[in-house]
Amino acid sequence: MSQRPLELILARNLMSALSTPAFLVDEGGLLVFYNEAAGILLGKRFEELGTVGPAEWGSLFGPFDEAGKPIPYDELPLVIAVRSGRPAHANLEISSADGARHSVEVSAFPILTAHGSQGAIAVFWPTAPGNNGAGR
Amino acid sequence: MRVKLWGTRGSIPSPGPETIRYGGNTSCVGVTLSDGSLLALDAGTGIRSLGLAVAEKPARLNILLTHLHLDHIQGLVFFAPAFCPQTEIVIWGPASPEASLRDRIARYISAPLSPVEVRELPCEVSFRHCPESEWEIGSARIRAASVAHRGPTLGYRIDDGDSSLAYIPDHEPALGADLDRLEKDWISGFALAQGASLLIHDGQYADHEYPGHLGWGHSALSHALSFARRTGAERTVLFHHDPLHSDDFLDGLQREAQERWVALGGSAEGIELGAERGEYELSARTVSAAALS
Repeated sequence: MSQRPLELILARNLMSALSTPAFLVDEGGLLVFYNEAAGILLGKRFEELGTVGPAEWGSLFGPFDEAGKPIPYDELPLVIAVRSGRPAHANLEISSADGARHSVEVSAFPILTAHGSQGAIAVFWPTAPGNNGAGR
Repeated sequence: MRVKLWGTRGSIPSPGPETIRYGGNTSCVGVTLSDGSLLALDAGTGIRSLGLAVAEKPARLNILLTHLHLDHIQGLVFFAPAFCPQTEIVIWGPASPEASLRDRIARYISAPLSPVEVRELPCEVSFRHCPESEWEIGSARIRAASVAHRGPTLGYRIDDGDSSLAYIPDHEPALGADLDRLEKDWISGFALAQGASLLIHDGQYADHEYPGHLGWGHSALSHALSFARRTGAERTVLFHHDPLHSDDFLDGLQREAQERWVALGGSAEGIELGAERGEYELSARTVSAAALS
């Protein structure tokens, strides 16, 4: 059977223990995990959603810019990190399953290994009071 | 494929009257393939005895290192074949972004830690980073994959004919993970061990000891049992015994392991603690243990 790269396994294990919302994508941009804190923010647990492709997760939760316009997929920090292998940061809004909008700061960084890029992690930090899915 | 345990201890050699039966030498497993090729898995102090057993025979030897912690390389400079000009030794190990395998091993095989330098070894020795893809040694196909431990660490799978050996002596797959619930492809080392005829796996701690050693890179008994159950290995040998564990303590741990394994639906013969000089004959769908010598 195929096996996830160890770096992704360890990243998932770490993320599982964090109260900060965090997303994990593999080298192909497939969303392979997000943690409980991210599930609270999005209004849907990862176990309910499962693994989704890059085009799908890019549209599931918005995201929107500060003017409320959809952000092109290619400009999302997680996509930049996984494609270009460099960190990326942005302020944006995401919509949760109930339609509520949440302002968040997003920092994404690539998971680079001896065998090249294995994916990327994005950490979300809610910036507006009351929107915080973290730390609960 | 014939497997012999030459060193089952973890961390530091632990000779003494209280460790006679399970042994005090650190990690080393000898594997004789069906075509007669010899592999050494790790080069802890147990490799000294392995070397004495083959010293009279000019040979080509492959040493597969899981990682470079001292308890896995300490025996290299006491490995008799390394001092035989007729011997060709290939040492395989994990790559690191920091330095080559040769340079990292040379930090140990050099002054002031060693009386000899790598370049002074009389044998023909070469160092190779394990490839990502499967490769062949003799009649076996070898696969290496990174596993959860501290620092770059590999586990190995050796397939020879219809039998297979998985060797993951230093492994903490349960760090931050629930092995009983996690999807299989998210379990460190799973693909190496899946359905193996024999799994040699880290079992350093009793469950009550683990909380004090979280993140040290080793498994508690519960983790080893879960890993063995999930991977479906035919037979499991727990390995890398803690240096503080006496024979009597390990007897108790083995009893507990077997009772819990039976409770999980296995047979008591399906799991045991590795004892130095223990031998296993691996053939298709059967693994038999030879008497301890």
